[in-house]
Amino acid sequence: MSCLNMNPFNAQSLVPDHVRAFSPYYPSKPDTALMQLYGVDHLHRLNNNENALGPPPEVGALVEQFPRAAVPVYPNGDCHDLRGVLAQRFGKGEDQFLVGNGSCEVIASVIKAFCTKGDNIITADKTFAVYEWVAEFSGLEARLIPLKDLGFDPQAMLDAMDSHTKLLFVCNPNNPTGTYWDREVMTNFLDQVDNRAMVVIDEAYFEYVEAPDFPDGMELMTRYPNVVVFRTFSKMYALAALRIGYLAASPEVVELIRRTHIVYSVNTLAQQAAVAALSNDGSFVTRTRQMVSGARTRLCELFESMGLEHVANQGNYVMVHLPVSDTLMYRKLMTRGIMIRTMTGFRFPNWIRISLVQAPVMEAFCHVFSQVMGEISPPEKG
Amino acid sequence: MQINDQCISAKIWADRQWVPLAQAVVERSCPAMGLAPKQTGRLTMAVEEIVMFLAGTSPGTAIHIEIIPGGWHVKARLSFRTDPSDLWAMNLCPGARVAEDPALTHLGLVLASRMTDRFSIRLEGEIVRLTLRQDLKYPSVEPEAGEYLVPKGQLSIDPNPDTSLVKEACIRALCLYDAHSLHQAFFKPGKLADMVARQDMTMAVALTPAGEVAGAVCWQVGAGRSLTFFGPYTFETGERCAALLTEHMIQRAARTHALGLFSGRATSDLPRTDFECLGSLGTCDKQMKIWYRHLGEDPGTSVWSHPDLIPFLEKQYRDLVLMRQIRPTQDMGEALPDRSVISSRLRPKLSEAVLVPLVGGRNMAGCLLNHATTLTKEGYESILFQLDLSQGWQAALGGIALNTGFRPRLILPYGGTSDIVVFEYESI
Repeated sequence: MSCLNMNPFNAQSLVPDHVRAFSPYYPSKPDTALMQLYGVDHLHRLNNNENALGPPPEVGALVEQFPRAAVPVYPNGDCHDLRGVLAQRFGKGEDQFLVGNGSCEVIASVIKAFCTKGDNIITADKTFAVYEWVAEFSGLEARLIPLKDLGFDPQAMLDAMDSHTKLLFVCNPNNPTGTYWDREVMTNFLDQVDNRAMVVIDEAYFEYVEAPDFPDGMELMTRYPNVVVFRTFSKMYALAALRIGYLAASPEVVELIRRTHIVYSVNTLAQQAAVAALSNDGSFVTRTRQMVSGARTRLCELFESMGLEHVANQGNYVMVHLPVSDTLMYRKLMTRGIMIRTMTGFRFPNWIRISLVQAPVMEAFCHVFSQVMGEISPPEKG
Repeated sequence: MQINDQCISAKIWADRQWVPLAQAVVERSCPAMGLAPKQTGRLTMAVEEIVMFLAGTSPGTAIHIEIIPGGWHVKARLSFRTDPSDLWAMNLCPGARVAEDPALTHLGLVLASRMTDRFSIRLEGEIVRLTLRQDLKYPSVEPEAGEYLVPKGQLSIDPNPDTSLVKEACIRALCLYDAHSLHQAFFKPGKLADMVARQDMTMAVALTPAGEVAGAVCWQVGAGRSLTFFGPYTFETGERCAALLTEHMIQRAARTHALGLFSGRATSDLPRTDFECLGSLGTCDKQMKIWYRHLGEDPGTSVWSHPDLIPFLEKQYRDLVLMRQIRPTQDMGEALPDRSVISSRLRPKLSEAVLVPLVGGRNMAGCLLNHATTLTKEGYESILFQLDLSQGWQAALGGIALNTGFRPRLILPYGGTSDIVVFEYESI
């Protein structure tokens, strides 16, 4: 049968409207490809808020000794041992944890569990994009509330709620602004939500926060049954390559989310590495926080000396506002071996976000950034 | 707005006896899709001519006809197998060949291409998809002198203005900006409003606290993974309105599929710090800068180029800090169609023509030169020729462009499937 005698194939007509309208996300190429492309022999990764110190030493030993015989065996399907360690650590039951292939997976599980057609989720317009993306490609409305003074706006989020609101996502501290709700703001918010919807508190950067008034989601969930907390091993614990994160909630809520959660998605090495990481987070966390604090001070001094507006709050990152396009700055820095995160995609045009890492790398960044800023000519007149 | 298009389709064969059915499909469906009798007649005749042409050149071939409503236009799409170079007569300047053809076989194609508002040809393997577009009729508005508002109170953005706001913004822009700064649809506000309602154009307007329109910006999906914007148009004095609209546009564009934003018609109000200048087009007194905003982190790519164009590309990529692997390609005597087909998009009001090769045949040099000289004689001052560097056959035409009086002016990063190089005709 010739092509012209068949119905024309139209893949677009087979997918739902909300999938057709959604734009795929293309992550960047591997470092080796980027280095070749940009003609550099090194690349300082300041784009993904990774912990440049690497994981605790216990993880290194585990990775090196990982038995070959374990490779053909399926991992434990629901991270039994890790959940046990988490339960002990936080004084909760094993049935209060659900582990995923990175916290992105648990975001999807929560949305699938609670939302159906016609429902909506509420979050901020300038925050981690995955809440919004998963809602939209699932055919749900994502109500995006503008940040107020660079932080989540609790009253506006409450005002946006209706009977179809199932989930409110609060990124605390917020990525990329580092702002946070303190204990009082958070509890006031939860009181006013009044169990009408689930409140997801994403604490991906929890271990970096040193502010004494920062609320601990693990504690809040004992008083508020509608709270779900997200944490990750990708940031402080430096297990980003292994992709492992988790959520914690009441047993009843976790049981509901389990229904839409894929089992066997977390590999054995990731499960064991997470357990190992938790076995030493005293000195390791302290050293990391010291590194971040020193780097933050250094960058703030630089940006102040250049008269550039910047945002440096909690978390292992800072943002700076440029007098040029952030995407042009990305290309210029890449040609000198520095990779930062452009913020246009976070709806912060002309801002870049820089991860806070070891002093020598921060010095390299400061040197190159100053050089590039010196080369930028004033904008052309029309 | 819920868009629920109902398309009509029919399958016929390239034979004179099927012509009445093809006519009936167009004639009966177009009025139901909003096309006026005169426009319906033009589209009907164009389809008829193509079926007649295929009956002569590819008798018996299957033709799939689709009539597709578009709100402000109707498209007739014909899919069939034929030698694409046989479509040469759809060129704006088919040259003397039509007169040389004693059977006037190709005259129908000449007529079909002139009778519609736009046509395009796409090749999918051996299948040609020929699309003819006829626009609905809208009244034109002539610009009158306008006055700027005095800034008062905080501005807000309406991201989805209704039809009345779109028309109001359109008329204000017409009064305050010259034709070179405006998309063609601004001269027909009803058409622009329908385009916005159909999401074929996106518009955002800035509103004063009293609800007056203080400015607007609009953008549409361009070729490949790009967006083309028009504006920003500000109807009050000062810079705040343009800055607000531009930031809003970038934020909205940033989470779409688009890799970049290009200026279609940028105004002098555009905040320059947000954009990179790619170069200029047009004559000395009517030079237009083309502005670009990369929306993501450039992953780099590879492009084809004729060897003679490589120095230009290298300099452009160096200046723009864009990483590209340039791979040389040129005609080495391999089999090519005999004749070329070039699409022409004309904007007589702006004296601008954009030429894009659809079929690269052996006669491309003559065909391109013929287009350039004819358009020059007709008074066109800016004659552009665009090549998509992701396509080896198009990139190889760079040598011909250079030898026929065209000069490379700028690169549109990711302006097509990959980068596009834009040439402008100077003269031999």
